[in-house]
Amino acid sequence: MIQKKICMLGGFAVGKTSLVRRFVTNVFSEHYQTTIGVTVEKKTVMVDQQDVMLMLWDLYGEDEFQHIRESYLRGSSGYILVMDGTRKATLDTARLLQQTVVRTVGPIPFVSIINKSDLQSEWEIDQPAIEQLREQGWPVFFGSAKLGQGVEELFGCLATMLLSPASPPRTCL
Amino acid sequence: MTDQSHRPDTSLSDCVLAALDIVVLEWEEGLREFRLQGVPPEWWSQCVGSTIRNSLDLSQCSPFLQDYLGGIHSVWQGSPGPIEKSGAWTEPDRQGGTMTLEARPLFLGPRKLVLIERLGSDFEHMRSIVQRARERMLAEDITAKSHRNTETRLIGQLEASERTKDDALALLQQLGLAAIVLDERGQITFATDRTLEMLGCAMQEILGRPWDQVLSFRKEDRLLIQHLLEGSSKIHSSGPLCFEGASSKWIELGIHRDLAHTGRRILIFNDRTEVHALRQALNEQASFHDLIGKSPAMLRVYQLVRDVAQVDTTVLIEGETGTGKELIARAIHSSSARKHKPFIAANCAGLTDSILTSQLFGHKRGAFTGAIQDQQGLFEAAEGGTLFLDEIGDIPPQVQTALLRVLQEKEITRLGEAKPRTVNVRVVAATHHNLSEDVLRGSFRADLLYRIRIARVQLPPLRDRREDIPLLAQSMLGQVCAATGKTVERLHPDTLRLLMSHSWPGNVRELKSAVEFAVISCKGNEICPMDLPPEIAGATVVPSPSVFIPLSGQDEKTRLLAALSEAKGNRTEAAKRLGISRATFYRRLGEFDLASDQ
Repeated sequence: MIQKKICMLGGFAVGKTSLVRRFVTNVFSEHYQTTIGVTVEKKTVMVDQQDVMLMLWDLYGEDEFQHIRESYLRGSSGYILVMDGTRKATLDTARLLQQTVVRTVGPIPFVSIINKSDLQSEWEIDQPAIEQLREQGWPVFFGSAKLGQGVEELFGCLATMLLSPASPPRTCL
Repeated sequence: MTDQSHRPDTSLSDCVLAALDIVVLEWEEGLREFRLQGVPPEWWSQCVGSTIRNSLDLSQCSPFLQDYLGGIHSVWQGSPGPIEKSGAWTEPDRQGGTMTLEARPLFLGPRKLVLIERLGSDFEHMRSIVQRARERMLAEDITAKSHRNTETRLIGQLEASERTKDDALALLQQLGLAAIVLDERGQITFATDRTLEMLGCAMQEILGRPWDQVLSFRKEDRLLIQHLLEGSSKIHSSGPLCFEGASSKWIELGIHRDLAHTGRRILIFNDRTEVHALRQALNEQASFHDLIGKSPAMLRVYQLVRDVAQVDTTVLIEGETGTGKELIARAIHSSSARKHKPFIAANCAGLTDSILTSQLFGHKRGAFTGAIQDQQGLFEAAEGGTLFLDEIGDIPPQVQTALLRVLQEKEITRLGEAKPRTVNVRVVAATHHNLSEDVLRGSFRADLLYRIRIARVQLPPLRDRREDIPLLAQSMLGQVCAATGKTVERLHPDTLRLLMSHSWPGNVRELKSAVEFAVISCKGNEICPMDLPPEIAGATVVPSPSVFIPLSGQDEKTRLLAALSEAKGNRTEAAKRLGISRATFYRRLGEFDLASDQ
């Protein structure tokens, strides 16, 4: 079976662990528990009639207390940049992390998601900023780990991209 | 002994490793596998299961450990540098919980080892610190966002409020409304441009100052406003009040409570100066001093009085009895520069020359029988003012001479005295006579006539200004009601028609007498024809143009002759047509020496 290492990257408390849990076990917890280090989860998805095992490396959130350990990134096939729509600063963190990944492992496939669409009325990340990301080639998803919105599409899109990195699916863009 | 003491004590190293709670894996280059060294801690078997002959099956390891151990050869083969730890990772345990592990490579000479330890209480402590720090950052973020939202909302509200204020202000200024706002202490906190224009000052000059220092009202008006300001009702209005600013204005003042701030008051000034002036002009047109009437004839009289009042000459007022000659004299006096000095009225009719001389010029004690003390005359009493001599055509010839001297020399001599006294008196004379005819008859001195007739005012009889009758009657009705305490509100239209058709030989005096009679007789609140005196109530209203068309320019004699002619010599019918009694008609004929001719 094809195995792919995918890193979940983003600022702290953007919902990386929640997205993984929602994707793997379809569970969501309101209680915030910070991740220290890394937790690896697995889930098999079907892409083009092939089973692909996604090894989801849920890394700790990037902030002033913890910076990304480049060794975690090595061997990654792709990554997911997670942002919190209600905190504009998480977009800047995502940009920095994306640059770190490119510097460490090169331009591997990735998707991004602006999480917490259930709180869209409180969003600070506005449409011009989103448009700017898309202009830079970022596949941007909107979703909510809490409501389960956009989660399957996010991981499915990246899995598809991993198998055919030269032509990302139109739906991802 | 020495060799034995340096021989490795495997049981000791096992105990040490067990005490350190560390797993030691050694890379066996020949077998190309990791082998477990010593006795592993109990948790290790939860990670990888049982280990056969201490050989590690990587496929049984967690993905993270596989990844780490798979990639560690590159660390060992690399150039010397810092030994890289794996970083913490989480593994599920068999109780359904998790444990956090960390691995590090180790060189011991040629031996390549990997140490794996379970992170314990120190790690959990560090985790809780990071957890708390991040929760605090999130809370602060939420608080900051809340503050930003509040700030944005407040700024929005402030801007909206400013816009509303600007709109209201623009509207207020556009309306040209003069208004000020007072705070609880009565100090001005706002004034519109119109107010500033009215006051003739700038905003900063009045802001914060008490209203009564800025608004120049008369004392009684200030007290009234203060009283109204202290009142509790929502709206008060008062006025017109005289505002004594750069130019005096008449204003109506509205005082409103500011519903948003109980202690504050909004004062709105409505400039009524123009209305006041127009109203005054209207009143003046309808009445002049105590004279009432707005007929063209009376308006000409008012203007004449104004003109005459501007000069200090002697005036002769001519008019039938009851037309209000004394009122004209008073009006001349009140409009003249002598208005603050005495006005003395004397009726010269029916007095003997000695009594009249004494009255006018005074006398010395003992000048005649009964003259028990010195007495000043009316000329002296009117010093500086006006002396009104009514019925001057009736004064005896001797007094005419003395009067002429006074008018010429401005001196009087008291009866019984020889020394003249200088007087400064304006003489206004009146008569119902035709003095020119009296001069011709020799009963009045021509030189005196010319002296007193420098200015003349001719008062029209009431029949020549019938349009004033309703106004006069209504005014008299009010006066009589006030005097008698009766409440008669109006005149019935038929009553008014009768009054309009009467000839009023007694003029205004007769009209007033008729109204008094009617008020006394009236039983309701409206005067009916039957309430009028019989000679008026009984008259037949004959709308004959020959009688009732105004006869301006004609004298009474002509009218009598015309009435007789139309009645074909029937005196009773002629009297009826003129609206006077037969007796009055006969008396009038006698006065004009027409009784025998007709």
